[in-house]
Amino acid sequence: MATVPDSMRDEHAQLRAELEQRENQVSEKERQLERYAADLRETFKSERARTRELQVSYVATVRALTNAVEARDAYTGKHAERVTAYALEIARALDSSLAADQGVEFGFLLHDVGKVAVPDSILHKPEPLSAPEREVMERHAVIGCEILEGIAFLEPARAVVRWHHERWDGSGYPDGLAGERIPLSARVFAPADALDAITTLRPYRQASSLVEARERIAASAGTQFDPAAVEALLSIDDATLERIRREHE
Amino acid sequence: MPCVLVVDDDPFIRKLVATTLEDIAGFDLVEAGDGEQALAEAERRAPTLVLLDIDMPRLDGIEVCRRLRATEATRTTIVMLTAAAGDDEERRAEEAGADLFLTKPFSPLDLLRLVHDELGDGAGDGEAI
Repeated sequence: MATVPDSMRDEHAQLRAELEQRENQVSEKERQLERYAADLRETFKSERARTRELQVSYVATVRALTNAVEARDAYTGKHAERVTAYALEIARALDSSLAADQGVEFGFLLHDVGKVAVPDSILHKPEPLSAPEREVMERHAVIGCEILEGIAFLEPARAVVRWHHERWDGSGYPDGLAGERIPLSARVFAPADALDAITTLRPYRQASSLVEARERIAASAGTQFDPAAVEALLSIDDATLERIRREHE
Repeated sequence: MPCVLVVDDDPFIRKLVATTLEDIAGFDLVEAGDGEQALAEAERRAPTLVLLDIDMPRLDGIEVCRRLRATEATRTTIVMLTAAAGDDEERRAEEAGADLFLTKPFSPLDLLRLVHDELGDGAGDGEAI
């Protein structure tokens, strides 16, 4: 049997040692990368938890603000929640991405936040308002928009708050915007607001039926309301609207 | 702005540290691939913190640490990257003047915390962890 020359044996040993060293280096790198991956997982997990927490506090903040506004008006009860549910139904019927935008939903809920600046004597006056009183009342749209200024997560809400009293024909307030110059979120909101006003008991008048509400809103399509938003509202069945009304009585 | 010097003969480690401290945390980072280069960079940039691998060919981390301590005018925080915690390596590094230790494989979150603790918030464009 041929013996392996010493020189070759040395070379083998050297190669083996080198290979072993390389393997060690690779497994060191692997362990280091695994460490990074583990930390990345941890970071994502805590980030997700933080996002959820933030989300919850957003909703709680908006709810608190909404409640603060509604607390002043015993008659409207859960008006904001009903209107929001109606407006979301209209947005969905329009197949608009609005319904998925939580900022817009917050705008529906907070539409009247500016009413905190309207005195009780005007807010609760059962008789029709005088011209100066109406002027004070109408300021709630702009004031509400200003209240929400600088709050990033409420930025999409501000359009609803400022322009929810604009009219399709341009005769609304505060800016007299007409047609599609009124942001869609505000155009969707307006008939929802009307629907709730008509079907809810107010100190100065009785609540009307859903049928009557539909008729009156349909009659104002193209003047007060965006015809597309009205059409969307009319496409929603009675059962859905009734359910919303009952759920937020 | 505080500057961090990372010294490791393994470019893979330097890349990971750069990603962590520069890209994520926004620190000003200088790299050195060996001991000689480390001493030159330390003199040129006067880093606030040096992340120093212990196991390098020729001039190893211990020697670099010793020389940094002998020459530096201002006090730099020296963090030693060691292969295993609590052994003889750490004792020697401490004697050479190292302040802190980070054991390989190190956690990037630990690295960020450590550097934030020593230097504050970096450039401010990074996420505080």
